[in-house]
Amino acid sequence: MWSYTLRRILSAIPTLWVAVTVCYVLVRITPGGPFDGERKLSAAVLANLQAKYHLDWPWYKQYFSYLNNLLHGDLGASFRFADWSVNDLVANALPVSLTIGGISILLALLLGVSAGIVAALRQNSWVDYLLMFKISVGSTVPSFVIGPILILFFAIWWTMLPAGGWNDFGAKYMVLPIALLTIINMATTGRVMRGSLIEVLNSNFIRTARAKGLSTRTIVLRHALKPALIPVASAIGPMAISSITAAVVTEHVFSLPGLGKLITTAASNRDYTLILGLVVLVTVLAVLVNLLVDLLYAWLDPRIRY
Amino acid sequence: MKNMSIKMMAGAVALCFAAGSVWAAKVPAGTQLHAKQELVRNNGSEPETLDPAVAESVGANNLTRDLFEGLTATDSVGKVVPGVAESWKQVDPTTWVFKLRKNAKWSNGDNVVAGDFVYGMQRFVDPKTASPYASTYGIFIANGQEIVDGKKAPSELGVKAIDQYTLEIKTPYPVGFMPDLMSNLNLGPIHKATVEKFGKEWTKPGNMVSNGAFVLKDWQVNNKVVLEKNPQYWDKANVQLTKVTYLPIEDGNADVKLYQSGENDWVYQLPPGTFDKFKTELPKEIKNGTMLGLRYYSYNNTDPLLKDVRVRKALSMVIDRDILGQKITADGQAPAYSVIVKGVAGADAGVYDWSTWPMDKRVAEAKKLMAAAGVQPGTKIKFSYNNSEYHKKMAVFVASEWRTKLGVEMDMEAMEFKALLKKRHDGEFQIARNGWVADYNDATTFLTLVQCGSDQNDNKNCNKKADELILKGNQSLNPAERKKLFTQAAAMIMQDYPMIPLLQYTLPRLVKPYVGGYSTMNPMDRFRSKDLYIIKH
Repeated sequence: MWSYTLRRILSAIPTLWVAVTVCYVLVRITPGGPFDGERKLSAAVLANLQAKYHLDWPWYKQYFSYLNNLLHGDLGASFRFADWSVNDLVANALPVSLTIGGISILLALLLGVSAGIVAALRQNSWVDYLLMFKISVGSTVPSFVIGPILILFFAIWWTMLPAGGWNDFGAKYMVLPIALLTIINMATTGRVMRGSLIEVLNSNFIRTARAKGLSTRTIVLRHALKPALIPVASAIGPMAISSITAAVVTEHVFSLPGLGKLITTAASNRDYTLILGLVVLVTVLAVLVNLLVDLLYAWLDPRIRY
Repeated sequence: MKNMSIKMMAGAVALCFAAGSVWAAKVPAGTQLHAKQELVRNNGSEPETLDPAVAESVGANNLTRDLFEGLTATDSVGKVVPGVAESWKQVDPTTWVFKLRKNAKWSNGDNVVAGDFVYGMQRFVDPKTASPYASTYGIFIANGQEIVDGKKAPSELGVKAIDQYTLEIKTPYPVGFMPDLMSNLNLGPIHKATVEKFGKEWTKPGNMVSNGAFVLKDWQVNNKVVLEKNPQYWDKANVQLTKVTYLPIEDGNADVKLYQSGENDWVYQLPPGTFDKFKTELPKEIKNGTMLGLRYYSYNNTDPLLKDVRVRKALSMVIDRDILGQKITADGQAPAYSVIVKGVAGADAGVYDWSTWPMDKRVAEAKKLMAAAGVQPGTKIKFSYNNSEYHKKMAVFVASEWRTKLGVEMDMEAMEFKALLKKRHDGEFQIARNGWVADYNDATTFLTLVQCGSDQNDNKNCNKKADELILKGNQSLNPAERKKLFTQAAAMIMQDYPMIPLLQYTLPRLVKPYVGGYSTMNPMDRFRSKDLYIIKH
């Protein structure tokens, strides 16, 4: 297992290099640069700015210098936020996104799996239809619609919670964004869990267990749950990654200072180093999450060995 | 004549001083102040820096205006008032002398002295600082442009400390609006020891030493910047607010929701299309002041089709700016017919003679011009604009005006903002969305949009005779004559139809009724928190 983990981590290095290189080329060929503004800079000022950020170096020198800095853990200086390094910006935004995203994924798993189990056990009953209807709302209605509705009800009409902002991990500021991300993620886990459990419950070994006279509770908890969770585990990886993209909307709607907000700011400002820094981060997170999911597989299904 | 002009200016300065003393952070008699003097205002975006020398955006300048104080400042109605300088004088056509107040202090208790301004200005134009505004303001100080270009050393900048509290500024030509210019914090003082001690980290909370009415307490990127009242500030007795929180909300809808839920006292700018709704729903909270800013479309004057002035004139004539302002953008913007907007100092905004004609007559004349230029109905013109509902609405309206009135088709090309800027600056467009907000309150900031060879001239037009008038105006010591020359030059250029002026900017926003000191008469939208207070509510 340890050698497998090590191999996976080492194999992530070329993935990271390809991601950084492709992104490096893309941001450089995208029209418009970091210093293009309504007010056109004079040639001398532009030259001074380019010299400050080494954009006057040959492209290969810039590229290798970036890779060299990356190897040393230095993501460079932000082009847009002159007072901050990319390391600082990412370090400030990451805890916000991890907190919101992490809690919402845990809640989505808990609530989605529970809803999926209940729906599967009451297949084709009104309970099943009601749960699946609620779940389908989360998967079909876009987050930029659900978010403002939550704000309207809970912040403007009932004034129970703030409409947005981030007050140093203050609990009440987290409720609505976590609720929004949970609604989105729960839809996936609920649907997958229901389908998977129905399939497992119809399998031969469950029929045998039933024939032995085991109670439904014992059948579900001891025999059906673990194998039924395998597809759910498969969904965790993409869900975790998509939480970052979902965070772009969520953080926008609730004005949160997380990675999603940083991604949009970086892209619209052509902040080359910040964009690349975020790509590095997202790639590393993707590799880690997928690794964890693979390890979870092994626990859920002992037949899987690495 | 020269002496008389200088005396006139000195008189004007004295008037400004007097006006300033009336306006400086005074709470009207009878106003009951709230026990908690804390304001939350949205700043529209995350500041790119808190270093005043490098600050470029409106948001960053809003913050540096609170954190620092220049030689002068502008009050809540946009009037120039004394800042660190108590008085100033133009001692000869190209020399200004500022007398500094002796009680001005940095937040660490050090005195603010003339040398701090010398250091601040030299650092500002130093190529190593790489300030985006270096040449915008650098050109007004002797040797400034040469230093930005790397041809001279920063020490050669025309600014000198005569003594601790007397500062002399030399200009390359007479700059009558120097007091106004000096309210920009790019040209403000910097605490040298702090910069040298902390390097790039000097703008961080705990490190920053500033001389404004507020000090930096907290800065969380994309979350908030918190300022607190500066106990060392020379005029602290007139500063009411104890805490100001700036939010960096870009999305107008999110901004309004925070306002409605009570977490924000000041909406940066209303989302498009909501002005009328809030005007009805929140009449006491809606604010809309005219700004020194111009919405316009740039013609590419080198384009084969648009090279012909008759085509440019015809296209401009048929756009009904009244409908555009009243029905399409619907946020109180006034029609514009000149590169010079109403209310800017140093020139009068002109109008085209046809602007008062009935539309039928304008269309008939425009059709004649198009026919004379050989432009057939069905001709396509590419229009480039950035992705935004606001600009799209305007473009669709203008396209409809051209199609229905002249038979000209608009090929609309929407793109990301940065892509548009690149296209515009590179001249790779036919007609492009454009806009300009004054950097300082003087006509020259707008004239840069249409001057020959100007960096800001996306239209690539050139009228050498008008340029000569501008040059002459710049050399003039007589404000009235200077204004006449600039007005003439602008009118002359506009007869070339280098661009399509459309509307003058307004600032539709919501401000809580308990925020005192807010004014809709501030044409540069530059508010110091020093001038604001919270009324009992």
